[in-house]
Amino acid sequence: MKIVVCVKQVPGAAAVKIDPETRRLVREGVAAILNPFDYHALEEAVRIREAVGGEIHVLTMGPSRAEEVLRESLAFGADHAVLLCDRKFAGSDTWATSYALALAIKKIGAVDLVLCGRQAIDGDTAQVGPGIAGHLGWPQACGVASVSLENDRAILVSRMMDDGYDRCRIRLPAVLATVRELNEPRVPRLAGWIRALERPVTTWNAADLGADVAFLGLNGSPTRVISTSPAGMRSGETRLIDRTPVESATEILRELRLMGAM
Amino acid sequence: MIMKEQSGVTSPYRIEVSPPKQSVSDLTGRLERFALRYRMVVEAGHCACVTDNAMGRLAFQGPELLRELSLPVRPGQVMVHVNTFHSLADLHWLLDLCVELGVRDLLSVSGDGSVRLPKLKPSEIGGRGESATSADLLAYIRRNYDPFFRIGVAFNQYEPEKEELEKLAKKLDAGASFVITQPVVGRNPVIERLRENLSVPLIIEAWMSRKIELLTDCIGYDPGFRDIFEPVDELRRIRETYPECGAYLALLDFKTQFQELPGWFDSRSGGEQ
Repeated sequence: MKIVVCVKQVPGAAAVKIDPETRRLVREGVAAILNPFDYHALEEAVRIREAVGGEIHVLTMGPSRAEEVLRESLAFGADHAVLLCDRKFAGSDTWATSYALALAIKKIGAVDLVLCGRQAIDGDTAQVGPGIAGHLGWPQACGVASVSLENDRAILVSRMMDDGYDRCRIRLPAVLATVRELNEPRVPRLAGWIRALERPVTTWNAADLGADVAFLGLNGSPTRVISTSPAGMRSGETRLIDRTPVESATEILRELRLMGAM
Repeated sequence: MIMKEQSGVTSPYRIEVSPPKQSVSDLTGRLERFALRYRMVVEAGHCACVTDNAMGRLAFQGPELLRELSLPVRPGQVMVHVNTFHSLADLHWLLDLCVELGVRDLLSVSGDGSVRLPKLKPSEIGGRGESATSADLLAYIRRNYDPFFRIGVAFNQYEPEKEELEKLAKKLDAGASFVITQPVVGRNPVIERLRENLSVPLIIEAWMSRKIELLTDCIGYDPGFRDIFEPVDELRRIRETYPECGAYLALLDFKTQFQELPGWFDSRSGGEQ
């Protein structure tokens, strides 16, 4: 089975800032991480490959620095990595982004399954996965909490809904957007990281994809961010202490002591 | 001459060598730095201690670093931390690798979790509580690997004493071979009482960063130390105060402090070893 996993480099959660003029996320000089939801898509891809064989291509669009998340994905177990990098991509909204990613998936060729995290933690739109399916004309499912292969032409998934789960049979090739409940991502090994440093990362620009530049970047994006404002700050933080009752109470006492409340 | 501790470790100094975090950025350079520090510690006769995802930050595991970097494993000169934030399969991978490499000293701790780290279920390791504890982990390792490992546990003198002693009793019942404290600054009455009654070797943690204020964040307790903090001087005081104990050095500055480490004062001979 040939699987493509779409990943994204996002700012670390504590580091999100918005440019007041462009109203876009400031990414320069900010600690960047692999979008946390994407680990679940990667894990599922590796499990499917372990079960039935095949190969995993990891795909992202971004500046050259985004190669970092591709290397991490290679350490995780992906076989090949593709970076879409071109100034013409800059400022793309979810429609233009999914257009470019869909072209890359076509260029990879003979893909059976595309896996994405349910959403990126920076934009929080959850639109790119369905957008890719739309551009490719493939079936798709969002909120995927379980996956099992029926045969080489169909896949069974359960979709997380507000009031429970839908069980669906989906014809391949297809696009799935995965949720945390799907699996517990593995921790990559050092040997995998060392191998990942030596693996090639293929870079494609807009011309390589044969993209219509009228559909790329800010000018090719049908949506505009009109205004952005930070969410109201909560006055405190919530922390789950997941220990025995005695340990939890001891931890709370320590926190209170630290705050000077005792 | 180096004093032989009861626990079988050749040097009184256990020196923490932090493993590189999992990130592609300058990975080769960070691995080289780890290897350099590890070799410094071992070649000087001390014991290198490798933490396990400290503060919940995803890092490489000690045994895989030793193997991939072809670092020497000498008896009593490597201690690997192992905590409860692993899958059972990964725990066995780590422990089997320790056996393969000859790493016999472990420190069993509950650890700090994060969203990227799995956590052992109590039922997987024979625990009966709501979450897996370091005592559960220790007992599990003993059941599956005895008599290979010598396993230490942590003691936090800043927690309420009665509860902490109860926890320590469970750890000792599970088969702890030595105990390591939280960082000690000055004389500590809880440690004084503990050393009188402990049946296994006690190792005192020394805070080697000049930023004493960070200790408050680390232990959740303000030790009330307001003067300029000189870690090497404090280490000397610890050694004079607790001559029969080993010392665990956290946050050691390898460039400036490593060569200044004082010899060990042996109260039996009245001189430095």
